[in-house]
Amino acid sequence: MNRFEPKIIAFLCNWCSYVAADAAGVARLTQLPNVRVIRVNCSGMVDPSYVVKAFASGADGVLIGGCHPGDCHYISGNIKTLRRSFLLKSLLKELGVEDGRFRLEWIAASEGPRYARVMNEMVEEVRNLGPYVPPSRRSAKGAA
Amino acid sequence: MPKKKLAVYTATGCRACENSILDVHFQVSPVTPWAEVSFWPYLAGSQWQDLDGDDQIDLCLFAGAIRTADDRKAALRLREKTRLIVAVGACSAFGGMPGLVNLGGVANDADPVATDESTQPGLPRTEPRVSALSDIIDVDYVVPGCPPPKNLLWSAIQALLCPGECTSRISYAASRLPDPISQSLTSGILPPRGSTFAGDKAVCASCSRVKEEKKFRSVFRPYAIDPDPGRCLLEQGVLCQGVATREGCGGLCTAAGAPCRGCFGKAQAVFDPGAKMVSAISSTFDSTKAAEIEAMSREFVDLAGTFYRYTMPAQCVLLAGPAKDENNAGDVL
Amino acid sequence: MRIMQATFFEPLRWQEQSARVAVYNGGEELKVYYQITAPRDLGVICHGRPVEELPRILSLLGPAHHIASAVALDRLFNVEPPPLAVNMRHALLQTLVFSHHLRKLFFFLTSLEDPLADRHSAPRTLGQPPFLHHLFDEVMQCLSLAQEAATILGGRPEHPLTAVAGGVGRYVKPQSYVRLAEISDTCVIFAIKLAEIFGRNLLGASEAVERLKEVSLEPMLSLSMTHDADGSVVLRDQTSKEIDRFTPDNVFDKVELFHEPWTYEPFACLKGKGRNVFDGNGGDGLYFVGPLARLNRGLELSTPRAEQERQHLFESLGPAPQVTLAAAYRTLLVELIQAAEQMTELYDQEKLTGPTTRTIPKEMGQQATGAIESPQGLIVHRYRVDDRGMVQELDILDTAAQNNALRCRIARRAVEESMTRNKSQEEIRKNIEASLLPF
Repeated sequence: MNRFEPKIIAFLCNWCSYVAADAAGVARLTQLPNVRVIRVNCSGMVDPSYVVKAFASGADGVLIGGCHPGDCHYISGNIKTLRRSFLLKSLLKELGVEDGRFRLEWIAASEGPRYARVMNEMVEEVRNLGPYVPPSRRSAKGAA
Repeated sequence: MPKKKLAVYTATGCRACENSILDVHFQVSPVTPWAEVSFWPYLAGSQWQDLDGDDQIDLCLFAGAIRTADDRKAALRLREKTRLIVAVGACSAFGGMPGLVNLGGVANDADPVATDESTQPGLPRTEPRVSALSDIIDVDYVVPGCPPPKNLLWSAIQALLCPGECTSRISYAASRLPDPISQSLTSGILPPRGSTFAGDKAVCASCSRVKEEKKFRSVFRPYAIDPDPGRCLLEQGVLCQGVATREGCGGLCTAAGAPCRGCFGKAQAVFDPGAKMVSAISSTFDSTKAAEIEAMSREFVDLAGTFYRYTMPAQCVLLAGPAKDENNAGDVL
Repeated sequence: MRIMQATFFEPLRWQEQSARVAVYNGGEELKVYYQITAPRDLGVICHGRPVEELPRILSLLGPAHHIASAVALDRLFNVEPPPLAVNMRHALLQTLVFSHHLRKLFFFLTSLEDPLADRHSAPRTLGQPPFLHHLFDEVMQCLSLAQEAATILGGRPEHPLTAVAGGVGRYVKPQSYVRLAEISDTCVIFAIKLAEIFGRNLLGASEAVERLKEVSLEPMLSLSMTHDADGSVVLRDQTSKEIDRFTPDNVFDKVELFHEPWTYEPFACLKGKGRNVFDGNGGDGLYFVGPLARLNRGLELSTPRAEQERQHLFESLGPAPQVTLAAAYRTLLVELIQAAEQMTELYDQEKLTGPTTRTIPKEMGQQATGAIESPQGLIVHRYRVDDRGMVQELDILDTAAQNNALRCRIARRAVEESMTRNKSQEEIRKNIEASLLPF
């Protein structure tokens, strides 16, 4: 069956959300296989350009997982991400990236089940949105 | 010493770049001792047949974005006949303001109606998207700006057309240009292919305004505030693109009271101007509460149209040109 | 169906947009099409942009559009710019008129001699007026002065920056006033000198110049602004008699744009009137704008040397309305002198200083119109915005659209006249170029 399988890139911070993902795996919680994880030391190091590059390179959805505000290993790294997230989402929307494809989630190290649930939800949401097609390819009518 | 052959052409845009080149010839230093102009339709009335001979053109200054089939043909023909092509001006370098058509996402509102060409002339078809020159052909050098300042134009002509022979020096241009280019002005060695005749850093490096601490709580639309002329605009709450934009203009716009809008394209170290601006602006928000940050973010309007005003076709990573197959993930995934 | 043979004249010199002329000569009548071969896409480019960015975006059409846009924004935001801003914009506008006309005159001179010939090594040709190369240098030197003034007032010469909603973006630096005075003085002297050269040596000299008296445009309606403080727009008939007068706000009630399938640029015409681009007889709604339209108002000019030159024009070419190419070029000279004299009046420290450069808006309307007389003719901007001030609709009457029909008609005249003299293809093209240039 040719069901669309979205590709989700997840930038997970080393101290919280990555641990949660790991825990979800160890606990053998059911997770959809569509997620590619990139471990970063802090969600604050995820530059908006990484998100843009991910979409441009073929990702259908991008998630940034960070520690809850106040719990950041580097004190305020996750606040940096929070600050960027709104403008980034607006910019992406103006460029044709629909709501739901880009997410910022706070996932603590102990929240393994939550991690699994969030990712599964996201995969289904993106599956419903369909593959992400950059606008240039959308509007191209044949020979460019 | 045979004279070099020079060509100047504009595809679709305005005539500011060609007028600037003409001004360089008359106001800065004449090019005619070193070059004969073999193709300059705007000024000399050259016709396409003039290119049919065996001679190669040594330097072609190409301005204007690629909007129609005729523009594409012109670019291909000139590339075929030319040794070095320079994309002059934001339109040919990155797509320019005509590139905003790509954001519109609407079907071309100007498609010509098919006519009976036996009684009425047809028109060249518009392309589905506006392209920069580098989307169509290999471009050897770039002189950005809208229009490029005369000193940078002259440094390009000097370095590429009459290398090592010209005696006039433009100290400001040479001082902001990266070393390989400024050295080529006097050494006679061509700068590395693909070089941009502008600085490497961001406009902030040449802007004359004082920069203190970038923290602001409120955002102002440019019409709603009379900013202090001595202080950084971003610090006063006015969106200025200088942070992500290549320097070389000397901070012209900010000196005139207007925020930078990025006509020199992205700075060397920037991956995508929009992403960089998001990062730069967000880092100045003076708050840690989500609701406040969200409210401030909403004050910024037309992000894509501002961040990519001159660079949509070539430098907006998400919208940049064709090439990858829709079903493939591309090179990464 | 008879197939007509088409000849295409392209590329053409001195055109601001990609343009060509298509001549169909095989049927009963000669058909000449002036085609703009690439669209401007202004509607798409400006839709969704913040309205205060329009002065910078629309300078794509020409530097005067920057000012017209600021005028429209003043009305949209319902603000009065402070007097210094009004004066600065006015001074910038006159500087732009000067540069624009000077460049056109330069281009005309290049039709008489190659400006790119290397005079260091090429031998002089006998019979050529020996002073033209020096004249090129002088013209361009004067142009660079005007551009310097435009930079002082506008931030940049080609795409100005300083006109903003409610005023201007910055003061003129105190040390610039001396320089501005030098510039305006030099410009006045040079403009008068250039007019003399044209009057004495050129117009009347070579054949290329002689024919300027013989090619004339068919009489057309014309549109221009008055000198009056209320800045009304006046419509004149083919004899230059006033037939209607309205405010800039009403322009779009009287004028509309329509498209022909053979050119990307629309045509402006009076609503409800004839739209035949090729045949102006009987109820023609197509009109033209520009220096010749302004000349034919028959209004006395306020600056003395320009008024003198204007009198000379009518003495040598006859009374208004003027329709020949010779008049079109001479008008550029009259306006050149006028612009230089106005520059001298307006580059005044008292006029350009004040407590503030702009008035900050407190409200925003939904729609506004602004109009000015640009160097090339009347231009009108109308913007409609949403409640955030983002552009929803944009209507621009630029000179390309308003003179589109004129260009077709004058190109046809040029082709006809060249064909009666059995000119070669190249000469026909040159005649077309020289006919289009002053409009």
